[in-house]
Amino acid sequence: MERPPSILLVGLGGAGCSIVARLAARLPPEIGVALIDTDTRSFQQLPGATVVQIGRAQTRGMGTGGEAALGSASAEADEAALRRIFTGVPIVVMVAGLGGGTGSGAAAVVAGYAAEVGATVLTFATMPFSHEGERRQRQANEATGVLGLKCHGLVVVHNDLLLQQVATDAPLSESFAAADAWVGGALRALAGAFIPGALVAADPAALRSILANPGSPTLFAFGVGTGEGAAMKAARAASECPLAHGPSSVTKVASLFVHVTGGPTLTTTAAFEAVAAVRTRFGGETSTIVCARVNPDLGDRIEVSVLGASLPAPKSPAKAKKGAKAGDPSQPMFEFATEEAMRRGLFGGTPMTFIDGQDIDVPTYIRKAVRLPASP
Amino acid sequence: MTPKLLPSLIAVIDIGTHKTVSLVGQMINGKARMLGFSERRTDGVVKGTVIDLERLHRCVHEVVNDVERSSGRSIEQVYLSLSGPAAEGERIKGIHAIPAHDGKVTAKDVTDAIASAKRLEPPAGRATLLYMRQPTTIDGRAVANPVGMAGKRLEVHFWRVTMEEGNMRMRVGMVNGMSIKVRDFILASHAAACATASDSDKQGVLVVDMGAGTTDWILYYKEHILCAGSIPVGGEHMTNDLSVALRISRETAEDLKIRFGSALHREADANQTIWKDGDRGLGDQQFNRGTITQVLSLRYQETFEYVKKDIMQHLEQLFPGHAVKLDQYFLPAGIILTGGSANLADAAEAVHAIMQLPTRIGVPTFENDSLRKPEYAGVVGLMTAAITDSPPPVRRQRGFLASLKDLFRF
Repeated sequence: MERPPSILLVGLGGAGCSIVARLAARLPPEIGVALIDTDTRSFQQLPGATVVQIGRAQTRGMGTGGEAALGSASAEADEAALRRIFTGVPIVVMVAGLGGGTGSGAAAVVAGYAAEVGATVLTFATMPFSHEGERRQRQANEATGVLGLKCHGLVVVHNDLLLQQVATDAPLSESFAAADAWVGGALRALAGAFIPGALVAADPAALRSILANPGSPTLFAFGVGTGEGAAMKAARAASECPLAHGPSSVTKVASLFVHVTGGPTLTTTAAFEAVAAVRTRFGGETSTIVCARVNPDLGDRIEVSVLGASLPAPKSPAKAKKGAKAGDPSQPMFEFATEEAMRRGLFGGTPMTFIDGQDIDVPTYIRKAVRLPASP
Repeated sequence: MTPKLLPSLIAVIDIGTHKTVSLVGQMINGKARMLGFSERRTDGVVKGTVIDLERLHRCVHEVVNDVERSSGRSIEQVYLSLSGPAAEGERIKGIHAIPAHDGKVTAKDVTDAIASAKRLEPPAGRATLLYMRQPTTIDGRAVANPVGMAGKRLEVHFWRVTMEEGNMRMRVGMVNGMSIKVRDFILASHAAACATASDSDKQGVLVVDMGAGTTDWILYYKEHILCAGSIPVGGEHMTNDLSVALRISRETAEDLKIRFGSALHREADANQTIWKDGDRGLGDQQFNRGTITQVLSLRYQETFEYVKKDIMQHLEQLFPGHAVKLDQYFLPAGIILTGGSANLADAAEAVHAIMQLPTRIGVPTFENDSLRKPEYAGVVGLMTAAITDSPPPVRRQRGFLASLKDLFRF
């Protein structure tokens, strides 16, 4: 068997597989690609990739029909096959679309197996559009709670936010292309740090040191700048990145991983200016790992990607005694509840007021997913 | 209708989400003179709904004490304002076939038609608070006074405001507990209109009273109330949005809203950096003004879109099949904004952009300078409405309210 890749990109479920399939063509060859789904049709999108069909007995090769329980049962049934593809891989980047059956149900199980065989698992999870209905939203919310505890880093991509990046009259394909561009740019930038040839390189252990604590909120931002002052433009774009402005995003983190990629004109000063700008926005007081890379294809473009995490608040011993085991399902529910209170602010605890099916006590800018200008 | 003899001393209390205001006045030579005024921060009300009666009671009591002290008179009866989702309006009509052989309407025909309208029971658990007379029609033609006119079919229309029974008992009981009678309830949006809109305005005008907890609107057409409604969003929501967006306290958010807020978001705002305290000392914080205006303008504009939608739904109910447009032919006087949130910068411009109607900020006409602000339109209007009391004709089911009052009177 050939040597396992240093980074394995995994697409899980229908949405995850299509995103990965669309990205695969533009990825550096050092990155391995694997597709996992219950539905065999997903695999036709990318012939030649490593594929794992899960839940053959449960679903007979069809989808899960949106049943999350069926999704997790399918993944558990094929534990051995899943563990095999993750063995020896230091970094696993998983892309899953939450809301459906396979994505919501299997994500946490698959991430768990990957982490158990020793990989650092970073998951990009896309949340359904809010007009896809309450059931999918709820299923996605539940899935993020469990998933956050299983993987080292969880980046939640709100489709609503991405939608807002494109013009209102843009065709459907363009909206999805925009979503791909964000996730794809993020992956390429991240992967670039670990494949050979970086000026300032990082190793998988460095990533692990940032994402040491499963279950802590993860921050991810990505920005591109061109022309005069490209580095600062990129840093500013990263500060205003919609991925870092989701309803549940963290704004300041303790540890940061900053990766700067530029064309041959990238100077050391410019790179570190960008890092400094990113640090003022996102924190990174405890540690900041910097990576830089020159890619001649980029010309005068500079890309900045930021990954960060905070240590979770230390649990008080009294609470731990009461039996708050790791993986206790009540934990994510609690976090979800506080997030809900954050959204409603002073109205937290009062009965919700609904107009047109929306809780209008939640600020308009959150419900409409409008990106706010960054703080100075 | 014979004008009622009013007691010369008139006291009104306006209990809002943010503040409770009381005004005591007297009619002297046909003009209202202010004798006492008091204002306090309301306690125990969230989003226009009472959540802690005891705290609200204490607050109202203090306001009444203040106003009695400053006026030097003891208050025996008050007018209360009624706003928010507690009050709900609907249009009802009474139909009467004119029996006389010559087809002329008599006074008794009118009384019968009114009686038939009032026989319609309010929805379960709700009590009728007031009836507002709307144009009477004979064979579908609107007439000012039908008596003596010829026709076959007489219809009287009312705008009936109902209120949750429990909620009303609570309010009446609270005021009765201070040995004060509730003389009447007046619709807050109607009061705001009385203080800011002239009779000629009322040929066609929309008055929007945006308070802290609710946004109440009322539409006048040909001097009559056509319909009224309420959206449970107010200035408090804007403060809350800001405190969530900037992660700051309620007080700071309120302060920033007043100093830097706007109902319009301009591109240039994003380049403007503002300081929280302005002294650039310890603990002072920098914010982007664009963030503030973006958050506030989104909420403000959304609220008015809800108002517009609500009005259109009401109009659709009133004139099914007719696509009534909110334009200047229908509402020549445009829109009048009152309430505390009318103070937000660029409020009129923002509303004009959404509703496409001339918009102005309603400042109550009153002898006292200190009350000539949009946030006092409600309380000044209560006074005005209490003095005039009738136009547009207000006919209440006296029996019911009177018996209710007796119930709470020891």
